Amino acid sequence: MRHRFLFEQLVRRELRQKYKGSVLGVAWYLVNPLVLMGAYALVFSVLLKVTGGIQDYPLFLLIGLVVWVFFSQGLLAAAPSLVDNAALVRKVPFPRETIPASVATVQLATFLVMLALLVPVALAVRGTLDPALLLLPLLVALLFGLVLGLSLAVAVLHAHYRDVEPVLGAALLPWFFVTPIFLPVDELPGVSEREWLGNLLEWGNPVAPFVDSVRGVLFEGAAPAAGQLAYMAAATALALGLGALAFRRLGRDLAVVV
Amino acid sequence: MRPGEVVLEQATRRFELRPERARTLKELAMRHRGGSRVTALDGVSVHLEPGEALGLIGRNGAGKTSTLRCLAGIVPLDSGRAECGGRVVSLIELGAGFGAEFSGRENVLLNGALHGFSRPEIEGRMDAIAEFSELGDFLDVPVKAYSSGMELRLGFSIAAHLDADVMLIDEVLAVGDESFQRRCLARIRERMDAGATLVLVSHDPRAIEAVCRRVVVLERGRVVFDGGVAEGLAHYRSSGAVAASAGIELLDADGRPRAAFEPGEALRVRMALAFEQPAERAMAALEVRDLRGAVLFRTDTALGAVEGDVVACFDVARLALLGGEYEVAAGAADHDPPASGMLRSVARLSVASTFEGEGIADLRGSWSVAAREPVP
Repeated sequence: MRHRFLFEQLVRRELRQKYKGSVLGVAWYLVNPLVLMGAYALVFSVLLKVTGGIQDYPLFLLIGLVVWVFFSQGLLAAAPSLVDNAALVRKVPFPRETIPASVATVQLATFLVMLALLVPVALAVRGTLDPALLLLPLLVALLFGLVLGLSLAVAVLHAHYRDVEPVLGAALLPWFFVTPIFLPVDELPGVSEREWLGNLLEWGNPVAPFVDSVRGVLFEGAAPAAGQLAYMAAATALALGLGALAFRRLGRDLAVVV
Repeated sequence: MRPGEVVLEQATRRFELRPERARTLKELAMRHRGGSRVTALDGVSVHLEPGEALGLIGRNGAGKTSTLRCLAGIVPLDSGRAECGGRVVSLIELGAGFGAEFSGRENVLLNGALHGFSRPEIEGRMDAIAEFSELGDFLDVPVKAYSSGMELRLGFSIAAHLDADVMLIDEVLAVGDESFQRRCLARIRERMDAGATLVLVSHDPRAIEAVCRRVVVLERGRVVFDGGVAEGLAHYRSSGAVAASAGIELLDADGRPRAAFEPGEALRVRMALAFEQPAERAMAALEVRDLRGAVLFRTDTALGAVEGDVVACFDVARLALLGGEYEVAAGAADHDPPASGMLRSVARLSVASTFEGEGIADLRGSWSVAAREPVP
């Protein structure tokens, strides 16, 4: 790959720029999601006492949260990335896709660290060392593709229309609550009486199958159904296509608009 | 395209003038096309053979930087063609942009990466870059601690070592000190001998004369002159509302014209400027030089919107020059302060030799001599 060194440099820049000079440095990348997950875990399992009769509920919740945090933080970090790197964009011609891609990659790295912390716990507590676990890398790769594609799209859109980042920030909040993170889809309130609502929540939200299938593998030791896998692959392909299209249509004038 | 070839064909680019640069969704929804557009490049055609050096001159807003940005591939054209053969390296604007938090050395790596180099390729050039930049230990200090001169030294040193086939250099060289500028020009010539092509934007005729064989003058995004350097500079000087300064007089404290002064006397330089066309933002400049042409002092001032005859005066309360012969040169131009070579009205200034000291600067000091004080 021709731009490997450039990509490496941009990842280093992204990693170090934000927290350069702080005591924890790069470790801050882990503190934020950890605090976020700790807060959600506290609210749902201790204060609201939502357990849905699920055993090892904190673990159930954490697995879903890890997926959600990767998705949401990835998009939020990618949206302003081109604008933040205006100095580079305005001075040098280079493939601009590398900027949001490097941001998404840094988010992937934090996601992988979180998973590395969570997987042994899940295996120990739930005894889910099953063949289904072999699908985890595939699920992670598909999820990364989804985040990458949407990151490209929101970054280039935000460079042209500065409302994109705040709109995204506002949209992610309700999005979180309609994603089956703190309960499985069929146990969400109101779903048992209305089948269409369950279907909508399960298939209308591209993040839902990722949360569900990662949790299935780690928590239940169950492989996702073929339909769900196909849906995820399609969602990822669509997101990547969207990102490529957005760059092709709006990427030309980046040096002028950032 | 052969490496080093540069082609601009009917290159046209417009920019939207917006109060804020970013569009908002509201504007998008209302199909509101932020109003007026300005044409930065209007059918520009220039062809350069490998090894050629082109000076690009014109007033602010004439399209010089836009031309470079289009050639570099940073900004796309609306229509026409802008292409460079081989590796293009541009030094377009300074600024801590490449990563103020990062050290000079890290910036070298990032810069190399942005220009498509691999790690071993750029690391192999690190020593040469370090040596050329003369930054020494500063190379390991974050760039935010650099002065603008140091930033230029780093930026140019990197650009000069990326084996460019085409070099695009904007006004930036003006920031450096004279010895660094000389080394830059020498390095540029070296690269040109190796077959690289140069496009240099500058307001400084000396820099253009030093390296360029050809000049393109831009006016409102169009090529108005393309040819030899001397003619090109003359065309630029005569174009637009460059004032022909009709007269320059040196007056003494009583307002009488004089050519000979004593050190420490009051001096008034009176410039009668004739503007053939109305100027929107005229600038006047004045220089004191020695007879070899070295500038001892320069100052400029904004005159605002003017037309016809204007008189500008520069008052020196105490002439701080020692005995010798000097020149006072003055001129005016629209938009930009006139460059040194454009100050065509010259008056001779003789300063009488006195016992104040030797050299050119009259510091009016006084000596005191005492026995060395005992150290307590």
